Amino acid sequence: MSTSVSEPQAAPAIRIADVCKSYGDYQVLKNINAEVARGEVVVICGPSGSGKSTLIRTVNRLEEISGGGISFEGQDIHAPMRASELNKLRSRIGFVFQSFNLFPHLSVVENVSMSPIRVKGVAADVAHDKALKLLDRVGLADKANSYPGQLSGGQQQRVAIARALAMEPPVMLFDEPTSALDPEMVGEVLSVMKSLAAEGMTMLCVTHEMGFARDVADRIWFIDAGEILETAPPEEFFKNPRHPRAQRFLADLRH
Amino acid sequence: MIQDFITIIQDYWLLLLIGQYPNGPLGGLANTLILSALAIALAFPVSILMALARLSKWWFLRWPMTALVYVTRGVPLLMLILWCYFVIPLWTGADVPSFLIMLVTLVIYQGAFLSEVVRAGIVSLGQGQMDAARALGHGYMGAMRFVILPQALYNMIPSMISTFVSTIKDTTLGYVINVPDLTFAASQVNNQLLTQPFQVFLILAVVYYILCWSLTYVANRVERRIARRRAGPRNARLPAEAAPLKTITEQL
Ligand SMILES: Nc1ncnc2c1ncn2[C@@H]1O[C@H](COP(=O)(O)OP(=O)(O)O)[C@@H](O)[C@H]1O
Ligand SMILES: [Mg+2]
Repeated sequence: MSTSVSEPQAAPAIRIADVCKSYGDYQVLKNINAEVARGEVVVICGPSGSGKSTLIRTVNRLEEISGGGISFEGQDIHAPMRASELNKLRSRIGFVFQSFNLFPHLSVVENVSMSPIRVKGVAADVAHDKALKLLDRVGLADKANSYPGQLSGGQQQRVAIARALAMEPPVMLFDEPTSALDPEMVGEVLSVMKSLAAEGMTMLCVTHEMGFARDVADRIWFIDAGEILETAPPEEFFKNPRHPRAQRFLADLRH
Repeated sequence: MIQDFITIIQDYWLLLLIGQYPNGPLGGLANTLILSALAIALAFPVSILMALARLSKWWFLRWPMTALVYVTRGVPLLMLILWCYFVIPLWTGADVPSFLIMLVTLVIYQGAFLSEVVRAGIVSLGQGQMDAARALGHGYMGAMRFVILPQALYNMIPSMISTFVSTIKDTTLGYVINVPDLTFAASQVNNQLLTQPFQVFLILAVVYYILCWSLTYVANRVERRIARRRAGPRNARLPAEAAPLKTITEQL
């Protein structure tokens, strides 16, 4: 087989190379270099305002970058391309927001089935059945006909995960998926994420849930002031953080 | 006195209802209603396009549309009518019927007002809905069609009805360019009777009042239902959530 065909197969799920981003004079991301291998679970942590959301939103190009490049399965996400091409790439990257962002005018099952129907052209009954299966998987089969406004935060976030999964993305991005939840609802969302990881999903998660990071992550990226200061497996990161700011961050978390 | 009213209505009800039709153009109340209905039916899609243009990232759509909306909102409707009356025939070189000129004017005028409501409705949804739609792979148009506009427009229904009411009132200004509507018919009646202007124009006022009042009543009912529906499923304990709707409706 020629290398040009096999090369994309070998490419990491996500490769971030020399990424910089500024808002005016203020540089939010400074020369970020990192990779997420296929099947890998990466947790991004760092103090608030350090650029975690900005970084993860550049991966599916909800934010533009000022320099560098990001490739998804070998394809350059930030290259100039037609809108339809970008939409197709985006549809293969699941994204879960801190604030759920469910569509309030659609029922739960419609939230999950709408995009496969409208974006991928899946037949309505097929998409509906698939949506019910996904809702069952996140433990919400009985809420299929409810509206988002009738659900608790934890339930809404599980629907949001099912909605993203309905597009069958090979990669899932999470931006603080449990930060807007009451404490008693954090567990139900994390357990859905854990089962996803166990099934081999490639995941890039911004989260402050260090228990989840310790149990599930393959690697931790520690980011501060727009720079990745440390990447390490969780055992190493939690036992022996090398960078002084990572040490301070962990010490603050324990208080 | 009462007898005067009854006589006028008995003698002229058909003229007030349909004008000179079928011996002349359709007029009277029928024409008022048709003009208003057409105006609002066209102003609705026009207002969506205007709002999208004003929110566009392209300056060549945003700037002219913003200017048009500001000018339209800052000028009396009568000016706009006269302006269209003299300019449209100049541009088209054709003898445009006054009905059509009035229709175009009303569509621009109400479109500009409604576009502000649409724009506010879209902006109030926040960036999150658009982000979620884009992240799932929807294009800009798909996101607008399936996610943003259904929410923004649903909240707009009461404003639409209120705009319909003000459109009905605005059609009376067509009188100055001889649009054969209800007001025009009433003044024809008045010209024939000569001695009973008070009675004739009181009848006219009553008809407009009944028409507008009943539509306003419907608007309020619909508004309350929407408020209840928005408050109901989402958060049964917070019925006051939909309060901003009221202010939008009252502005129009
Ligand atoms: N649209 C924007 N314009 C200007 N500054 C922004 C914008 N979005 C984010 N920032 C700034 O970028 C920095 C990083 O933000 P963010 O990525 O949200 O951090 P985190 O998710 O780590 O808390 C913050 O200082 C924030 O104020
Ligand atoms: Mg953030």
